[in-house]
Amino acid sequence: MENVSFRTTVLPLSDKLFRLALRITMNRAEAEDVVQDTLLKVWEHRSEWEQIDNLEAFAIATCRNRAIDLVKRTGRNTKSLEEIENSQPSTINSQASLEAREQLSLVRRLMDGLPELQRTIMLLRDIEGKTYQEIAELLGISETQVKVYLHRARTKIKEWITNI
Amino acid sequence: MDYKYIEQLLERYWECQTTLEEEAILRNFFRQEDVPASFLPYRQLFIEEDEIAREHLSKDFTDRMLRLVGEEAPIQVCKARRLTVVRRLRPFYRAAGLIAILLTIGNAAHQSFTHEDAEATMPIAENATADSLQQITIGQPEQQSASLTAQPLDTLDAFAR
Repeated sequence: MENVSFRTTVLPLSDKLFRLALRITMNRAEAEDVVQDTLLKVWEHRSEWEQIDNLEAFAIATCRNRAIDLVKRTGRNTKSLEEIENSQPSTINSQASLEAREQLSLVRRLMDGLPELQRTIMLLRDIEGKTYQEIAELLGISETQVKVYLHRARTKIKEWITNI
Repeated sequence: MDYKYIEQLLERYWECQTTLEEEAILRNFFRQEDVPASFLPYRQLFIEEDEIAREHLSKDFTDRMLRLVGEEAPIQVCKARRLTVVRRLRPFYRAAGLIAILLTIGNAAHQSFTHEDAEATMPIAENATADSLQQITIGQPEQQSASLTAQPLDTLDAFAR
């Protein structure tokens, strides 16, 4: 383990971790801090890597925990479903492009309004392309639970989209 | 395009019954600009997910991390190469060489076109040369004649003229 390089082993995980931290903290600067702490922690524990089955899973779990802790510590919480629904634009803009842009940002707001676990599972599946089994291992829950949470998330999104 | 298939895939997507490959098919379908109106509301979701997938950290972050762990980013140094005069003039030599080759080829082509004329006049020239040499040989002393025959052909031609 003496010849491992940070650049080739840990650094390639940074963008993936950043997207996860960003979906939890909803703040770019805070997400960067979380990723930095996570990468340094993973690197400092390199002597124990041989005991870790999956380095990426370890990094993702560490990153998620740190991001959740940060959100709790700062006393912030993500917007509730009601807040998201109330923030929908009530008037219809005549310009199609502006409408599309508004709708696009609304979809993002809808996704961000999901509970943290649903949001994280949706990110890992739809954006990072993980299998249900991989997600279950990453989050320490069963595969069935992953499907249940994802189903809830997708159903909500579908309902919101069709009601727009 | 079979929209029925997309419809079925989409239904299975909401129910979490699609494989990653099937979800990739859906994603590719919704990346198109001309999606049928019935699918348009769902397009925003897939486009938005593509946007999220493109989010990344800046290069400053990477450099900062490398500094923190003591693996500095390699400094890119541009080494100035010293060029000698010969090396600097190499393109001109090459151009000159190319021109010389072209001229040689052109000359050879020109000569091949005029070869028939040369063939026609060759026997006359040969006869004239032989006559001239014979006259010279008869008119000169033996020693001089021997020295003349030892001369290169060009010299003999010149002498004959």
